[in-house]
Amino acid sequence: MMEGPLLKINDLRTYFYSRSKQAFIRSVDGVRLEVRKGETLGIVGESGSGKSVTALSVMGLVTGGPGVITGSIEFMTNSDRKNLLDGLQDFVEITQENGRIMSVKKDVIGWERRSEEIMQGIRGGEISMIFQNPKAALNPFMTVGGQITEAIMLHTGIKDRKEAEERAVYWLKRVKIDSPRLRFGNYPYGLSGGMCQRAMIAMALASEPDLLIADEPTTGLDATIQSKIVDLLLELKHELGTTTMLISHDISIISRLSDSVAVMYGGTVVETGPAKDILSSSTSSKHPYTAALLASIPDDYHIREKIPLQAIEGDVLDTINIPPGCRFYGRCNRVTEKIRKRCESEEPDLREIAVGRNVRCWLYYE
Amino acid sequence: MPGGKLVFLRFDYRVEVFDRYPKHMPKTILEVIDLKKYFTQRRRLFSAFKSDIRTIPAVDGVSFYLKENETVGLVGESGCGKTTIGKTILRLENPTSGRVIFDGKDITAMSREELRRLRSRMQMIFQDLDAALNPKMRIKDILREAIRVHHDVSDEEVDKRISELLEQVNLKKSKLSNFPHELSGGEKRRVGVARVLSVGAKFIVADEPTSALDVSIQAQVVNLLRDLQDQLGLSYLFISHDLRVVELISHKVAVMYLGKIVEMGLSSKIAHAPRHPYTHILWSSLVEKQSRESSSAAKNVQSGIWGVFDFERPYSGCRFAPRCPVFESKGRPAVCTDPQSEPKLIDVGSGHQVACHFPL
Amino acid sequence: MNSYTQITGEIGEFSDLPFWKKVGIADLLYVAYGGLIVTLVIASYILGALNLLKWDPQAIDLELMMAPPGTAGHILGTDFMGRDILSRLIVGIQAYFLPGILAVSISLFTGSILGVLAGYRGGRWETAITYFTNLVDSFPRLVLILLVIAAFKPDIYYIMIVVGLTNVPVVTSLIKGKIQFLRQKNFVEAAEALGLPARTIILKHILWYNCRSLLIIQATLGMAEAILMETSLSYLGFGVQEPAPSWGNMVQAGANYFMQGKFWPSTAPALAILFTILGFHLLGDGLNNMLEGRRGR
Repeated sequence: MMEGPLLKINDLRTYFYSRSKQAFIRSVDGVRLEVRKGETLGIVGESGSGKSVTALSVMGLVTGGPGVITGSIEFMTNSDRKNLLDGLQDFVEITQENGRIMSVKKDVIGWERRSEEIMQGIRGGEISMIFQNPKAALNPFMTVGGQITEAIMLHTGIKDRKEAEERAVYWLKRVKIDSPRLRFGNYPYGLSGGMCQRAMIAMALASEPDLLIADEPTTGLDATIQSKIVDLLLELKHELGTTTMLISHDISIISRLSDSVAVMYGGTVVETGPAKDILSSSTSSKHPYTAALLASIPDDYHIREKIPLQAIEGDVLDTINIPPGCRFYGRCNRVTEKIRKRCESEEPDLREIAVGRNVRCWLYYE
Repeated sequence: MPGGKLVFLRFDYRVEVFDRYPKHMPKTILEVIDLKKYFTQRRRLFSAFKSDIRTIPAVDGVSFYLKENETVGLVGESGCGKTTIGKTILRLENPTSGRVIFDGKDITAMSREELRRLRSRMQMIFQDLDAALNPKMRIKDILREAIRVHHDVSDEEVDKRISELLEQVNLKKSKLSNFPHELSGGEKRRVGVARVLSVGAKFIVADEPTSALDVSIQAQVVNLLRDLQDQLGLSYLFISHDLRVVELISHKVAVMYLGKIVEMGLSSKIAHAPRHPYTHILWSSLVEKQSRESSSAAKNVQSGIWGVFDFERPYSGCRFAPRCPVFESKGRPAVCTDPQSEPKLIDVGSGHQVACHFPL
Repeated sequence: MNSYTQITGEIGEFSDLPFWKKVGIADLLYVAYGGLIVTLVIASYILGALNLLKWDPQAIDLELMMAPPGTAGHILGTDFMGRDILSRLIVGIQAYFLPGILAVSISLFTGSILGVLAGYRGGRWETAITYFTNLVDSFPRLVLILLVIAAFKPDIYYIMIVVGLTNVPVVTSLIKGKIQFLRQKNFVEAAEALGLPARTIILKHILWYNCRSLLIIQATLGMAEAILMETSLSYLGFGVQEPAPSWGNMVQAGANYFMQGKFWPSTAPALAILFTILGFHLLGDGLNNMLEGRRGR
């Protein structure tokens, strides 16, 4: 099942600009990721950690601010291999000071024109996306079936309308919408949140993508509906084997669906590796953030003993004001005296500490 | 539609919590008796002056009580009437019928002024992080105002009280001169809690206090609420859809479905030995409890629970029957859909109550 | 191709920024200009009211009819009856100053009350008030003013009362909308839950903290509107009546001589109107951006 990478993100930086603070919001700041063919990569992180912006950068959907400024996104299907940010650096000029980007000069119009050129046919076709808020992501003035049919005709070999409609009904059935023929003619507002998310999944899969990006697919749904959607995604994963990039803040969902996991904090990936290693309860050879995050979730033990949760002190990193050293230093509880100085002043990079395991922490560098 | 009729005190819904209070019986601080809240919605533009109005029974006959220094958790899917109960208890919404007795006094019969004074003893933490915070006011002014609402105090005392509050909720002093939008989610929540404490409330309705927060911050808030309970002897009505957090923080849990409580009991019992099929489904839908390969047993239980419930869908008898797996597996017994016999909360031993004809 | 956007971004704490950086240079200029105009208007009003002018605005000098600007100490020249234009311009403010304030007060006061009733109480109040404002809105304002003039007399105060009343729907709907928006954020409900009396919530939390910028803009726009209205009416001959000067009737009187190449009697008041109205609009805009923190977006 595990093959070479399908998507390889390297040194991706997506910045926004806060006018009120006259500073960059470094939403994505040097992300390095790999999604292998056939696997599901779960990206975990809190709000502001840059996980959604990473996905939008891959889709070429970042609007406003300077946006994507550096990096490469290599997309390798069986037939084709291309860099989604190919040649785009020509449109950007960066001024650096001590390795820190101080100012950006970007030809936004030229960039966007070029990006559209590259993304044409890829967005919605080879890479498709499930959004967090399905009601907002579906066109309210088109029937659900019509939207899926359109996607099919646009991105697959089926060009005959009748045939495409049959295919759309098939996909609606596939995502277990009851009475799919009836729902085919419904408008999004007539469907419940869970139903809309199913329709959204059907639409994303109908174009038979090589890569599916699911951005918080269950957030905002009720617990019972959530678990049904997760069940559905699990089933589709086993049946279709679509390569998926699953983004969620909910660790339980990530742990059920993904084969490997990337943990994001403050705009960077702090840890990657197989899901079972990273999400196991042991703290050994893990990034302190991952360990603390897992410990802060109430489990049976906390509930039974009524003991306080192990909260992570301090606040989520403000990506405007990134400290010079390790991003997690201010909240870290595993700094030893030996490495304190390095943690404070020097940012670690993502290094392999075991086969398939990368951690961004000074603890493991000796 | 049952109209407003005379309601008598009933004692059969009591659940005693002895294990945490071995020495003395704490006194009951809040008692909700057959509370009903129906919303009306006009259908068309001109119907304000006509009777073309539909009724939504958001809360449909709910009774429970709360003791001092105790936390009752209220769980259920969105739209089941959890938040409405919280607001009706504080009389931010007027109940359609039923009574709410707080500290021996009937809130539903209070005048506006009495109600205003009562707010110094019962408060609400809103789900919306920005709820408590006027976007144009500095944190300092927000707290100062809250302290002065019910107590006429001097400036020095206000300052002293503010620094006391900041310590209690673990907030930095430098944040006082900020505007709400300059704070992070966790800090906003702390300010909200500080404001609730500043009036000296002993009973707090906490409506989804952790839902909008990051995972690492959630734990901070949960710990904060528990510490405050120990220090100040607070009582909470803890409304949440996060079952793990409810289980962790509550002594008792009440499960709501479509405006009614379907099961109520000690939190450990509700979580690990539920008797109502809905409670069972709710807890087994906790994703992490299921194995990665998704056990077929859990799936079978859930197979009945499909669409979403709807206040407009007509039902007769048990309102959970259309989604109930037990109803299906028993071959659709007539008693479940008999309009004469809607199941009532019955004690099934040691204070555990369930409203089901065929408890698990 | 060369449409580069350069952005420099390094950390600067918002509170450390200099004042002009926080508010944006354009807004500051707007407000400065608007403030200057308002100061001039007030100064003119005081000058006129205290009779401190060099030339009597009513003094007719038949020797010096239609004198061009600069003649014999008449800085802006004289009109067709030899009256000093500058003096008449300054005294002309009196036609707007108090009446304009009256119009603005009526629309803001009534509009706030109705807006709060509709937004805060809602329900039937809202329905009734919406019907009422729609009714007022659908009535042609000019016709209403002419009716009032016909029924009473062509007095600027009557006109301004009508202008104020016909502006009520705008203020009402703005306040109502704002309150309904604030209700969604439900800090109003939280304030109720805290036990604040309704009076405090409405006056302090809603009107003072959250509607003040809106009210300021409406006040500046209302003043501009009052001037424009009087000008239009003067052109029809229903505004301030001669010999009392107003900018409207000065433009109207001067326009007759415009074709003869004698531009100054109508141009001076027309420019005064232009710059004053521009000043009020920019003041409102700039203040709004400053108070709402909407910087150059």
